[in-house]
Amino acid sequence: MGSERAEEHIVLAYSDEEVLDDEEGGSRIFDDLEPASWINDEDTDVPIFHRVDSDQIIYEAKKKRCKMIGKYVMGDLLGEGSYGKVKEVLDSETLCRRAVKILKKRKLRRIPNGEQNVQREITLLKKLRHRNVIGLLDVLVNDEKEKMYLVMEFCVGGLQDMLESTPQKRFPLWQAHGYFCQLMDGLQYLHSQRIIHKDIKPGNLLLTLSGILKISDLGVAEALDFFAEDDTCFTGQGSPAFQPPEIANGHEKFLGFKVDIWSSGVTLYNITTGLYPFEGDNIFRLFENIAKGEYTIPDEIENPLRDLLHGMLQKDAVKRFTLQQIRQHPWFWRKPPQTLEQVPVPPLRGDELHNMTVLPYLMDYHYVEDPTSVQPQYYTEHERNAWAEGQNPERYGFEWQEPVNNIRSKEGSPKKYPDEMGYGSPDTHQTEESGESTSDSSKRKSKRKTTSCISVKKFPPCKQS
Amino acid sequence: MPLFGKSQKSPAEVVKALKEAVSALERGDKKAEKAQEDVSKNLVLMKNMLYGTSDAEPQTDIMVAQLAQELYNSNLLLLLIQNLNRIDFEGKKDVAQVFNNILRRQIGTRSPTVEYICTKPDILFTLMRGYEQQEIALNCGTMLRECARYEALAKIMLYSDDFFNFFRYVEVSTFDIASDAFSTFKELLTRHKMLCAEFLELNYDKVFSHYQRLLNSENYVTRRQSLKLLGELLLDRHNFTVMTRYISNPDNLKLMMNMLKEKSRNIQFEAFHVFKVFVANPNKPKPILEILLRNQDKLVEFLTRFHTDRSEDEQFNDEKAYLIKQIKELKPLPDH
Repeated sequence: MGSERAEEHIVLAYSDEEVLDDEEGGSRIFDDLEPASWINDEDTDVPIFHRVDSDQIIYEAKKKRCKMIGKYVMGDLLGEGSYGKVKEVLDSETLCRRAVKILKKRKLRRIPNGEQNVQREITLLKKLRHRNVIGLLDVLVNDEKEKMYLVMEFCVGGLQDMLESTPQKRFPLWQAHGYFCQLMDGLQYLHSQRIIHKDIKPGNLLLTLSGILKISDLGVAEALDFFAEDDTCFTGQGSPAFQPPEIANGHEKFLGFKVDIWSSGVTLYNITTGLYPFEGDNIFRLFENIAKGEYTIPDEIENPLRDLLHGMLQKDAVKRFTLQQIRQHPWFWRKPPQTLEQVPVPPLRGDELHNMTVLPYLMDYHYVEDPTSVQPQYYTEHERNAWAEGQNPERYGFEWQEPVNNIRSKEGSPKKYPDEMGYGSPDTHQTEESGESTSDSSKRKSKRKTTSCISVKKFPPCKQS
Repeated sequence: MPLFGKSQKSPAEVVKALKEAVSALERGDKKAEKAQEDVSKNLVLMKNMLYGTSDAEPQTDIMVAQLAQELYNSNLLLLLIQNLNRIDFEGKKDVAQVFNNILRRQIGTRSPTVEYICTKPDILFTLMRGYEQQEIALNCGTMLRECARYEALAKIMLYSDDFFNFFRYVEVSTFDIASDAFSTFKELLTRHKMLCAEFLELNYDKVFSHYQRLLNSENYVTRRQSLKLLGELLLDRHNFTVMTRYISNPDNLKLMMNMLKEKSRNIQFEAFHVFKVFVANPNKPKPILEILLRNQDKLVEFLTRFHTDRSEDEQFNDEKAYLIKQIKELKPLPDH
């Protein structure tokens, strides 16, 4: 075959590395436009007056409170993992609610295989697209801050949090069935893409506002070679209680797809009974018990579910059910009647409706009550720090009425941001909320003045007694 | 009987009335207008039994069970579908709604309507042929896709001769019908992984000779969609056997290489994702290797300049770099 454009110019072929470098250079770096001199000023108390171009003042003022990362408007904290925080954001171009996982390289380095796992997750998620697998929509890197932002589909919570919010730590059968069917759909897709998740458990199954289950956290997942004859794997890194006997036994190699079947079986067992099939005081005991493969299913679990659980928790991986067998199993087909009440996603800081947390920031920005009432036009880092450490909530109210053309709000010391201080302690808000009637938090929120609403989130961290 | 408002008809009565009305419509005699009215009226009654209305809840399970039983016994579903083109616009939609609701009905782990349709596959074949009639094609499409969710029904459709008509339907000139047919076609080929893989393996020659025509279609949309679906099918691990067979055929490689050079960048891009499998194959058959070797330099040069503006797409660039490396390193097989 020939190319008509062959004569124009012939570019030398890149070697692997060259192309990769090229790619790296092209990676998008979005964040606030900060002069380099502001980066490490966290601990200095030098008053900060910088010469700034007029166009930059406008730029800064435009986003004074709504912190933006790239095109995303930041909202409240949704959760915190070992890798970093997860916050809600709003895509300012599409107006879609998203979640952003903020990874700090410094933190990652302390976790075994941390950076490697994140890199793997990004590579895998980028090529996946399925209703029941969490979508990775964007990756932003800020090399200076050593932060990475993974923009994902927005989820309101995970099955684990929901389970923990109930007294019996389980779902009604019909609800569990709905999640299980979605889990199998997502898993079938992953397996069709040659991906073994290896860490299926309630904590890694998230839900969107409309109740769609999303398999997440592919940090320890493995992609099989495209031409691999079978699904043999050699390493397992998942959560111990969900590991199959072949891994507990330390087998050198095992069938990958069957690992996911087993852990899905443990998950199904867990969400329907509130128990775990295998337990142990420590990981050795636990693995010992798993390796034996002996477990009991509580009496209240009847066939066909009982039979399905036995099929999925087969000690012998070869005899263990395949996805196909599960999909054809009577329990899979049968929708159990909706007898018991649905377990809801636990409220986020008292908000059962999971209203968009970005909104107050936008409201504050656009409808701030009286921008001229308070505050100097410029203030120093020292003052800022003083506010951040201050105990008087009223001061925080002031903080949120910064003048329109304040240029300091974007400077780069995230730790010192009063708003970020507030994030770390959801407890604070709950205490605050619980003092009031909790009947209709969403209405109350919208009635409240935007400024005071914001200030709720600005309270310095304080522990409940 | 209530003094005001309409009396409640029993399911048996509704089914009987509807059947008579549809038959009258089919005969097309002078009472046709009245029949049309009766059909619409009874369809609405039936729909309301299943879905309820703004003032009324859906009927009790017993009533719905009776209705379903009457529908099976009277063979009304088939009759409705056969005469769908004669029913008015709203009526067509009501038929589809009634059909889909009855289809989803479950008793314990059984789906009685699915079992019923298995014994009356004409329902499926009639629905599939619905794509030949413009005025009912989309209604049939919604019913077909609902059927395709059930493996047993999907299997009947896949293994029927009518299935191969889809290769024609996806190319019809009416765009919305062609797209609807394509989504049903895709659903049938991808929904039930094991079933589809087996079907493709067993009918490899027939399916792929038909498929070749889609890839060579005059119609840009057909070409692009079918190429994309081909990529999805081949890259799905369930279709491993089919994939290895596909990438062993030099004609398929030639086709993909030509598609890499198509005017449309989208087609080029989709073709790339199929082409890469040929190159990545660790056990390339001799004819494949020969074609690649014959074009070694040209391919390297071509790929190097292929979609260079996709700098954001890391995965694509990695794959491209990998292919270039692979092609550069190709060595002829030692002569025997």
